[in-house]
Amino acid sequence: MRFRNPLVTFLFWYGIVMLYLPLFYLVFQAFLENPNDWRSGFTLKWLVKLFDSSALWVPLLNSVEIGVLSATLAVSLGTLGAVGLTRIAQFLPPLIQTLILLPILVPEVITGLSLLLFFLLCRFDLGFVTVVVAHASFSASFVYFIMVEQLKKLDPQMNEAAQDLGAKPTEVFWKITLPNIIPGLMGGWLLAFTLSFDDFLISFFTSGAGLTTLPLKIYSLMRIGVSPELNGLSLIMICISTCLVLMLISKEQSRKWVLKG
Amino acid sequence: MKRTSLIPSSAWVFLIWLILMTLLPFTLILAMSFLQRSDLGTIVFSLSFNNYEQLLDWVYLRVLLKTLWLALMATVSCLCIGFPVAYFLARVQGPMKSIGLILLFIPFWTNFILRIYGIVSLFGTNGLLNQTLLAFGLSKVSILYTRWGVYLGLVYNYLPFLVVPIYSSLEKLDPFLREAASDLGATRFQTFRKVIVPNIKEGVFIGSLFVFIPMLGEYVIPDLLGGAKEAFLGKVMVEQFFVLQDWPLGSAIATVLSVLLLGALWLQNRWSQKNQAQSEGLFHAI
Repeated sequence: MRFRNPLVTFLFWYGIVMLYLPLFYLVFQAFLENPNDWRSGFTLKWLVKLFDSSALWVPLLNSVEIGVLSATLAVSLGTLGAVGLTRIAQFLPPLIQTLILLPILVPEVITGLSLLLFFLLCRFDLGFVTVVVAHASFSASFVYFIMVEQLKKLDPQMNEAAQDLGAKPTEVFWKITLPNIIPGLMGGWLLAFTLSFDDFLISFFTSGAGLTTLPLKIYSLMRIGVSPELNGLSLIMICISTCLVLMLISKEQSRKWVLKG
Repeated sequence: MKRTSLIPSSAWVFLIWLILMTLLPFTLILAMSFLQRSDLGTIVFSLSFNNYEQLLDWVYLRVLLKTLWLALMATVSCLCIGFPVAYFLARVQGPMKSIGLILLFIPFWTNFILRIYGIVSLFGTNGLLNQTLLAFGLSKVSILYTRWGVYLGLVYNYLPFLVVPIYSSLEKLDPFLREAASDLGATRFQTFRKVIVPNIKEGVFIGSLFVFIPMLGEYVIPDLLGGAKEAFLGKVMVEQFFVLQDWPLGSAIATVLSVLLLGALWLQNRWSQKNQAQSEGLFHAI
């Protein structure tokens, strides 16, 4: 059945165009001779210049390193939790369920502030390590839910068979469970990496003074004003983000989470 | 059995991590909100409700009312723009449905800061809008760095988060309800008003709450789009931590926001349980 209600269809496309317009203009702007004038003609010189400068590479490298480390940490923690809790996931007391959901539900500002307070009171030096830990602390719960779903699909008889054949519990985990949940692990890792790579607020609160990630760099340039450097960085960031989302959507395990926002 | 002894220990690693990295920091905020700041900016350990009383002061109450009003306008606007989008997505069939959902979500996985920058480049002093106005010989308008900048930012950034709950409430609706209504002679508008709206209003209300409450705590949008003069609750909260060094007062604001959010969560649980009970009751009746 085709949906026909021209008004609703029009309003849908109107909404979509409004969502994309600012982003398309950002991409367009990065190629302008003069970023403040859209009739000034196109050039690649700003982008070439950006690729030669440390303004791009230092924050980009930081973002990638933080993303890789925090995603790995989040996947380890979330998977450990899911392996232990899947079978009893439905019977978990509401308190524990809320605890697991908390990092997903609470607005980032509050998570960021509470982590900042925690790090300061523990006298940790704010920097690379605190950002990695902070990112892992909210993405571990996302990984947990992906892994629970993945583990539910496993045939419990496989584990029983392995045990009947004399495998120890750790052996069952490494030889039976783990190889079977690798698609989930990859989906979860990618989601955690994307969350970390895109995150601004939590990095902003927990990074201290010295560290810049790509979003932090864009933010600090934005406070100064429109510049070719800022437009170039935005273009690169949009490209990477879009690739990550398309990868997430192509994976069955993480698709659902993309559409939950 | 050996197997069961392995399971809880692995889960405990995760749970202890959550307790340490999520629960403990939130508890610290909660505890901090009952402490005091001395005139020197240090924290004094004396328990009181002073910070909460201070929030009822006219200075903060005015900020709160202004923020509530702006967030309410933004939520209502999101509803008006988001409803047709969600309705289209829920009704359309075939590949267009998934294409539409993906189209809706790609912008929202691009970085938050970039989305704000997108608004700046359209509506800023030298943005596309002003360039166009100048080209037509009109004078520039300044939308950014006023409350309208904040409003635009809120609507743009929160729209998909409201489309999703509306969409899922509409999806849950039994398609036969609509058919039944039209078989009984209802016009399209009557069906919408008497069948669709009553069935989705709870879901839409909860979805709106989950957009409205985080809006109140928004810091970056008022900071980057609102200019220095615009006071906004989330901005005031963060400034307590970074500028004014009044952690206890900032924590009190964060606690109020968290409590509101937990309240919405509780309401959601209660309603979904009620709905479940209703559908189960229906099941037994059949």
